[in-house]
Amino acid sequence: MSEKLLVLDDIRMNFGAIAALKGISFSIGKGEVVALLGDNGAGKSTLVKIISGGLRPTSGQMVFEGADYQAKTPAEAKAAGIETVYQDLSLCTNVDVVGNFFMGREITRKVAGIPFLDERAMEEITTKALTSAGTRIPSMRTKVEHLSGGQRQAIELNRFAHWGGKLLLLDEPFAALGVEQTRRGLDMIRHVANQGIGVVIITHIMQQAFQVADRIVVIRHGVVAGDVDRAKTSPDAVIEMITGQALTGAGPVGKE
Amino acid sequence: MTPHTRKSLEFLLDNLVWFMLIVVLALFSALIPNYFQIGIFTNIIEASSVLGVMSIGLALVIITGHMDLSVESVAALSAMAVGILFCSAGIGLGIKLSPEWLMIPASLLVACAIGGLIGLFNGFLVVKLKMSAFIITLASFIWVRGIVLAVSGGRSAQDLDPAIRWFAIERFAGIPLSAWIAIGCFLIFSIMMAKTPFGRHLIMIGGNETAAYRAGIRVTRNLIIAFVMAGAIAGLAGWLLAVRTSGATANLGVGLLFNAFAAVVIGGVSLKGGVGALPGVYAGVLLLSSINTAINLMGLPANYTQVIHGFLVLAAVLLDTFKQRLRQRLA
Ligand SMILES: Nc1ncnc2c1ncn2[C@@H]1O[C@H](COP(=O)(O)OP(=O)(O)OP(=O)(O)O)[C@@H](O)[C@H]1O
Ligand SMILES: [Mg+2]
Repeated sequence: MSEKLLVLDDIRMNFGAIAALKGISFSIGKGEVVALLGDNGAGKSTLVKIISGGLRPTSGQMVFEGADYQAKTPAEAKAAGIETVYQDLSLCTNVDVVGNFFMGREITRKVAGIPFLDERAMEEITTKALTSAGTRIPSMRTKVEHLSGGQRQAIELNRFAHWGGKLLLLDEPFAALGVEQTRRGLDMIRHVANQGIGVVIITHIMQQAFQVADRIVVIRHGVVAGDVDRAKTSPDAVIEMITGQALTGAGPVGKE
Repeated sequence: MTPHTRKSLEFLLDNLVWFMLIVVLALFSALIPNYFQIGIFTNIIEASSVLGVMSIGLALVIITGHMDLSVESVAALSAMAVGILFCSAGIGLGIKLSPEWLMIPASLLVACAIGGLIGLFNGFLVVKLKMSAFIITLASFIWVRGIVLAVSGGRSAQDLDPAIRWFAIERFAGIPLSAWIAIGCFLIFSIMMAKTPFGRHLIMIGGNETAAYRAGIRVTRNLIIAFVMAGAIAGLAGWLLAVRTSGATANLGVGLLFNAFAAVVIGGVSLKGGVGALPGVYAGVLLLSSINTAINLMGLPANYTQVIHGFLVLAAVLLDTFKQRLRQRLA
């Protein structure tokens, strides 16, 4: 794809004696959707957390929009324009839907210099965002603890759509979603990418990857085991990269 | 269960303490002679001002998922500082400022600053160094009381300057100004918790700290501010204590912690964090105060009060567990 948005260069991550990532290098272009595939424990979530400021890599460089990038906290990553939907959901179940949708970015109105929550404005936007995504939630004022897994995931997934940003990281965002909600989610990813936002989506469902991605990157045992254009590969080829019997011509295979 | 019954059950759970307060007041009024008088009710409000203010600070920290056991000793130290500076008898230095009213902000500042500093100390150790809030604030509970004993030498300060004492004497609508201060604090902090981003963030941190952190909320900073607030509010409670008793003794306020703890938990604040609101805590404080008044009226020996309070704390924690279970079933 055209311009590089994020370039990962030789990212390594050790947890004590465990080497979770052993030198990951690939890049994401503006408006490009990259599907990140790999078996359980391959290191996908670890990589996402490194990009989104949750973990600091043991070594390696990142370049975001042409400049050196290293987020020390999720807040810094957000400020840079990187939005993340985590595999283990990040909602406060003791707070209602609206509160969660606007977590950390509440709309306020100042009265005598003191910021007060503008509940009505926030509720309106949340309702609009969730309705257009086809999620049915009885009331925007329900506490999240009373919602189903799919409804919770929908809140997370739609949060970023409202906030935009430049790069979107999705760690198995559809795991709890129904058929229709997943279809809308995939549409939304395309829509977001068409606006020039880069997307990394982690999934175990091959069909989803082929449906939405421009490029497919496979991680196995902490190294990039394949990095191919979707148009130039097939589900069977990708499965073989994931399981370790790389076919010739399937793309560059990790060193090691 | 229909959504409607669930809604009403939840409403009941959320406001349980208010119902309890109404029931208890009705029962006492019916059963105890002389209970039902306006004077008694203003008395209840008046007697709950110190406990009320202290409970606010404790509730703030518990809602964030932490604990502050030091509030009682902090209040005692602040009261002692105010007593030593502005009392004229005993160990009081009898400092005078002119104009006289200057002593009010000066004494308030001293009380809240002492509390805020101890809160900062607690908060720093708990949040930055990730030590257990229970242990750190238990230690503060002990060493701060130790300082009170040390600086007072076990003696007391009496005769607080009338300019400050004025708050305990002057009344508005039949209620002393010191009690209005408590009511005002409940109003301000209730609004802060329910209507401002800062309050919302404290509740979110109590519910899911990781999620709040990932959402870009400055968890560390907000938590430390909560500890500082709890300390400063405890300082204010100490100031009220000095004003009400017109001085300070070395064992001033002993036992308040457990009352505050009971009020907070009875008031609907869950010990697991993230659940509870300040109006409920005020109801909890009033409930305790009503029970105390009833004990006094019935002429039970004061020693029994302690037994009853002990059981109240126990009942409060049981109630919390019970409510959590019930909520899980509702969910
Ligand atoms: N905080 C941690 N401490 C120690 N080891 C960890 C930690 N986080 C991850 N690991 C290890 O790193 C490796 C990669 O984990 P990761 O969660 O990135 O896998 P994944 O590719 O996301 O798997 P899945 O598909 O199951 O989500 C695993 O072996 C895991 O045990
Ligand atoms: Mg994972």
